[in-house]
Amino acid sequence: MDAAKKEELLKRLSQGVVEFEDDEVKEAAEEWVATGEDTYDAIFDGLVTGMEEVGRLFSAQEYFVPEMLMAADSLYIGLDILKPHMKQRDTNVKGTVVIGTVQGDVHDIGKNIVKMMFDVAGFDVYDLGRDVPLEDFLKKQLETKSDIVCLSAMMTTTMMGMPKVIEMIKEKNPNCKILIGGAPITDDVAGKFGADGTAKDASNALEEAVKMVVALKDLQKNS
Amino acid sequence: MTHSTSRDRVLGMLRGEKVHPVPCFSGVGNVTTKGLDKLGYRFADVHNDAKMMAEAAVTSWELYGYECVVVPFDLCMEAEALGCAMNPYTETDELLYPTIKEKSKLTTEQIREAANPSLVTKGRIPLIKEAARIAREKVGDQVAIGSYTLGPFTLGGQIGELEPLLKNAFKKPDEMLDYLDALADVITIIGKELMESDVDFISVREMGATTDVLSPRVFRKIICGPLKKIAKSLPSPNILHICGMVTPILQDMVDCGYDAISIDSKTPLKEAREKLGPDVVICGNINPFSTLNTGEPQEAYNIAAQCVKDGASGVHPGCDIWPTAKPENIEAMINASKETAVE
Ligand code: B12
Repeated sequence: MDAAKKEELLKRLSQGVVEFEDDEVKEAAEEWVATGEDTYDAIFDGLVTGMEEVGRLFSAQEYFVPEMLMAADSLYIGLDILKPHMKQRDTNVKGTVVIGTVQGDVHDIGKNIVKMMFDVAGFDVYDLGRDVPLEDFLKKQLETKSDIVCLSAMMTTTMMGMPKVIEMIKEKNPNCKILIGGAPITDDVAGKFGADGTAKDASNALEEAVKMVVALKDLQKNS
Repeated sequence: MTHSTSRDRVLGMLRGEKVHPVPCFSGVGNVTTKGLDKLGYRFADVHNDAKMMAEAAVTSWELYGYECVVVPFDLCMEAEALGCAMNPYTETDELLYPTIKEKSKLTTEQIREAANPSLVTKGRIPLIKEAARIAREKVGDQVAIGSYTLGPFTLGGQIGELEPLLKNAFKKPDEMLDYLDALADVITIIGKELMESDVDFISVREMGATTDVLSPRVFRKIICGPLKKIAKSLPSPNILHICGMVTPILQDMVDCGYDAISIDSKTPLKEAREKLGPDVVICGNINPFSTLNTGEPQEAYNIAAQCVKDGASGVHPGCDIWPTAKPENIEAMINASKETAVE
């Protein structure tokens, strides 16, 4: 594919996500795959660039939750087509994540946005949904041997379930990293609960997670 | 105008009379752990028993002189009447709010069918009316008894999945309008029934349509119409409550036609008053968590006093008072409302 064509397709992918044009994303992704080239750039410089712009528009209050969800749908359409054709790279930070909203809490809009960022970045994500019994986080972590467990809570009562989950998991598997978030969670709270980190929004959540996976990989290398 | 009882004060204020000092009350949940402990009740047990619900609801008036009695405490009543199952979390010792555990996912057609007079015999509606009656027995005409229903969009997210609702607000606005219009009829039937019981005032809580979630454009396009429809038939006094940030849609909320609006701490009250002028009844905007739960009494006092100075018609928390709120903070908020002169 020549540079001009590549540029055009990247633009159509990112714009397609920003404007939630499902068909446009689908066609551009298919055209890319038809060229037989690695789809890594299409995902990261196309779809993800588009989603970053959506994140920016969301922060600027130009986009709201529905726009975010629709952009996510377009992104998933592209991802489903492109991902099977992406060549594995060992430099890629990839990890396994278990995510869910803790027991007693049905607020899952924010959790779903965070989950999407992990999907985009190529993490293997196990979503337990909302109102998740606390033991289920441990069960799933043990079953999947996930690198990270992400807990979301939007209420100050339900967030009190978090330290319990953290204790359960750390007892069985001290190396598992735990990332928590949701409106009532501050750095302070995260520290008190014994979590390994927190983030205010979805893109920071991904950044934190990537750091955690890198740290885990280093740990494995050195041991 | 003289207001001899607290009930007269609150209802008068909601009808637009100037009331001094400014009433301190809530149209949404406000039971505290202190009240529950006094009765020896667990929060999980009060949702399915009219007597326990009523007793719990009057404690905030009895303990603090908080000027209201509000039933219920959760957001499941209408959804249950539409065939959903509620989880009160009786099996855990943690303080958790009830949630919908099984969604009935009714279609617009099915909702239209359900919107008939027999609706008010369904789910916990009779129980909540009975709780209001018992509360009336307990407090007589001294205190205003309040209740609430959800707004159509928020109710839609209780009986079905919220994500498709959010997307269809964009993708299929006409279908969505029809769906919300059907839910508006359900809410009107339930709201009227409550107002014909011992309930004195009612809030419509459209918390899912806050500007933290939906754009002002979508609010205008599909949320306002159904809310207006409800306001037309709902007896007075009534309040439109939306928590979170609503500054960009304040005028739209007023245009929906309720007697009063109620706003959260994320929406600055002073700015709201400046925007809306002196005559709109605005209740707000104490942060139920950072001010009442984790804050200190002096701080709570200052914030509530500022709220009066900024032009609140009633001092009202931005959302449900968290049961673990500190009693000293609630008292400080009430004292500030009493002691602060209206400017
Ligand atoms: C929509 C909503 C609802 C909907 C939820 C629908 C759904 N499926 O999610 C409904 C109507 C069902 C609801 C119910 C209730 N709600 Co509500 N609700 C809200 C509301 C308006 C918006 C929340 C939201 O989605 N925001 C948008 C998203 C995008 O933001 P976010 O969730 O914060 O997520 C971002 C970050 O926090 C972060 N993040 C989130 N999760 C994670 C996880 C990790 C690991 C990381 C790193 C980051 C991260 O990234 C996200 C993306 O940027 C808020 C008020 C507000 N304006 O915020 C109240 C609010 C959360 N609700 C509240 C209450 C009290 C209730 C009820 C208890 C009311 C009642 N009486 O029953 C019930 C709860 C029932 C239960 N047991 O769960 C209170 C909580 C108070 C408190 N401090 O505890 C709030 C704050 C309202 C208020 N002003 O008081 N609610």
